[in-house]
Amino acid sequence: MPEISYLEAIRQALWQEMKRDERVFLLGEDIGCYGGAFGLTHGMLDEFGPERIRETPISEATIVATAIGASLLGMRPVAEIMFMDFILLTLDQLANQAAKMRFMFGGRTTVPMVVRMPAGSGTGAASQHSQSLESVLMHFPGLKVVNPSTPYDAKGLMLAAIRDPNPVCFVEHKVLYKTKGEVPEGDYTIPLGVGEIKRAGRDITVVANNIMVMKTLHVAEKLSEAGIEVEVIDPRTLLPLDTQTIIDSVLRTGRLLVVHEACQTGGWAGEVIASVVGSPAFDYIDTPVRRLGGKDIPIPYNRGLEKIAIPQEDDIEQEIRAMVEGRI
Amino acid sequence: MPVPFIMPKFDMDQEKATIISWSKKEGDFIKFDETVLTVETEKVAIDVPAPATGTLARILFKDGDVVPVTKVIAYVLKEGETLADLPKAQESQGTPSKPEVAPVSQPAIAPAAVTLHATPVAVRMAKEEGVDLAQVPAAGDRVTRGDVERFIAHQKTLGRVAIPATPAARRVAQESRVALETIAGSGPRGRVQAADVLASVKTASASTNGREAELVPLTSMRRTIAERMQQSFRESPHIALTAEVDMSEAESIRRLFNMQTEKQGQPRITVTALIIKVVAWALLRHPYLNASFHGDSISLWKDVNIGVAAAAPHGLVVPVLRNADRLGVSEINMQVTELAGRARENKLRLEDVQGGTFTVSNLGMFGIRQFRAVINPPESAILAVGSVVRKPVVVDGEDHVGVRPVLSLTLSADHRVIDGIVAARFLSDLVTGLESPSLLLY
Repeated sequence: MPEISYLEAIRQALWQEMKRDERVFLLGEDIGCYGGAFGLTHGMLDEFGPERIRETPISEATIVATAIGASLLGMRPVAEIMFMDFILLTLDQLANQAAKMRFMFGGRTTVPMVVRMPAGSGTGAASQHSQSLESVLMHFPGLKVVNPSTPYDAKGLMLAAIRDPNPVCFVEHKVLYKTKGEVPEGDYTIPLGVGEIKRAGRDITVVANNIMVMKTLHVAEKLSEAGIEVEVIDPRTLLPLDTQTIIDSVLRTGRLLVVHEACQTGGWAGEVIASVVGSPAFDYIDTPVRRLGGKDIPIPYNRGLEKIAIPQEDDIEQEIRAMVEGRI
Repeated sequence: MPVPFIMPKFDMDQEKATIISWSKKEGDFIKFDETVLTVETEKVAIDVPAPATGTLARILFKDGDVVPVTKVIAYVLKEGETLADLPKAQESQGTPSKPEVAPVSQPAIAPAAVTLHATPVAVRMAKEEGVDLAQVPAAGDRVTRGDVERFIAHQKTLGRVAIPATPAARRVAQESRVALETIAGSGPRGRVQAADVLASVKTASASTNGREAELVPLTSMRRTIAERMQQSFRESPHIALTAEVDMSEAESIRRLFNMQTEKQGQPRITVTALIIKVVAWALLRHPYLNASFHGDSISLWKDVNIGVAAAAPHGLVVPVLRNADRLGVSEINMQVTELAGRARENKLRLEDVQGGTFTVSNLGMFGIRQFRAVINPPESAILAVGSVVRKPVVVDGEDHVGVRPVLSLTLSADHRVIDGIVAARFLSDLVTGLESPSLLLY
């Protein structure tokens, strides 16, 4: 199987789906001749032409509103919001329109669109270009929120997202763009709403998303040498959330830690923990349930501060050790 | 002035408590009423709440120390206070160096004792709820309604047993039928982990030396029973006296009473209730049977609080009927029924089992004719009641034999307090009272 990057995996999914389905088109800022801020749509204008790779003005509200209109008329738009931070400009379109239409029109219409957005810090882009706002989007029933951590998941989830009849927020991570992994060349989908155990272990369940999955896997490998076996779960889709996989895991390990880059207060770790503590897994919990989120501060521009604003591998390792070794 | 943190007294006869563990350390910020340490009395483990909000300072006793009640065990520094505000350490007791610092003059609990600062609402509420305002610690500079509410809520939870354990540990303990209170927790602050429970089950089955047996770890209740009965047998020289009672009159008065209870839809009067009534009457006439021995003195209790041995799920408990001498048979009957019911459901409160001055143990319902009971310390006597049996007895001076309901009573008494003749007089009065209940009206 060829090894490609996370970024290429997403491009491959878009490319293949545009070849397969002529209703699919892209729209966003600088996605044409510039190839997108991160180069994700590089070469696509030449292949598909300006009708299907549509440059837009700098107006996120317009981008999402256009995508909604097109999808209502039977198209399958994939919109790009250059930085996830700007999704806040589209909340009325996303939350009040896209998320509600299928319900309010009694199922007589659907909004089959995808809105892609790179999230996260680690690129020195400061407070307004580094946020992880996935928890915000989880509060709107009618939306789906997808959040891949590997190239393989990115392609399979993107294909599933485009084919899904509901509006899907596809949250990518900037730092993951360069990470590589095996990705099948052909067509495959990963069902939305199904999490995956990325690594099995008996001592503790760690639930993490996007970049934190990678960090936790590194820590898990290191701790394995010390005799601590960490089970790493990637929900992959945050809305709807696959709580059952997490609950089953906690039934086995008796310990739960949730790690995300998003600010801790109001972060989705609280949602996971509430689901587990309120489930039959409660009687199997043998250590206080914990979460490790980003600090409750705007992401600093200073690279050193930017790093300590979000959980790093050392933090994750210390937290896991404290829990497994009975110090919490 | 820093608030002295004293070892609280939970029990009437409690003299000391053992510190199981401090959950806070010096320098920690503590909030009024939050748990700061756990102590163990001979009955239960109890969480001790902070007497005030502030910084915990100068812990004087460590885990495992046995501390007399009301002794200062630490201090709470209020906002703005430092270690320098603490009273000087009392090591040099003989030479009081600085007379201006006089820790003795500090009130033990609340500084509010002398001049009472309280809001009008708090005063009214305390009055309504029967709370002594001087006992209520103030969070701020005066006692507020919130302080009174917290105080009342706290009083209610005092006797509650709380054992820190993870949900998993609780489940495993329940599945393995192990009492959590018998397990030493290895987790932070002594929290019981699932592994601790499993280990305890394992050790228990290992110590049978290969012979097959189901090993049951001691619950704290079993342990208390064991210790107290052992203590009683070791310290109190028991004498036992038995007498038979013709229950004809008692039976007929019981029938009369039950015609009454039936009309009023109340539970039927039991033999036990009738006996308790007569015992209370006799105790008033024989104060040494209602007493406790202290080594150099004897307390002759003014109250007549009769303990009634009852079965609880995990062993014997003796709930106490307070001021039984002032209750009618019907009231005694209802209270005993209620206490025994709560004993069966394991719902007795600490105060339900405290303060007994004499115990009645009835095994008659199991067909036991006669038995000797072990005195329940610090009481000095216990009455063992057998079953009422119809049997032939000589009924008058002319050697005529008749069939009568006969009850056998056996009194165990502590000879340090009660001589044989004193016990005999009491028992004889008891027999008279049961054979001629109308004498109680005299």
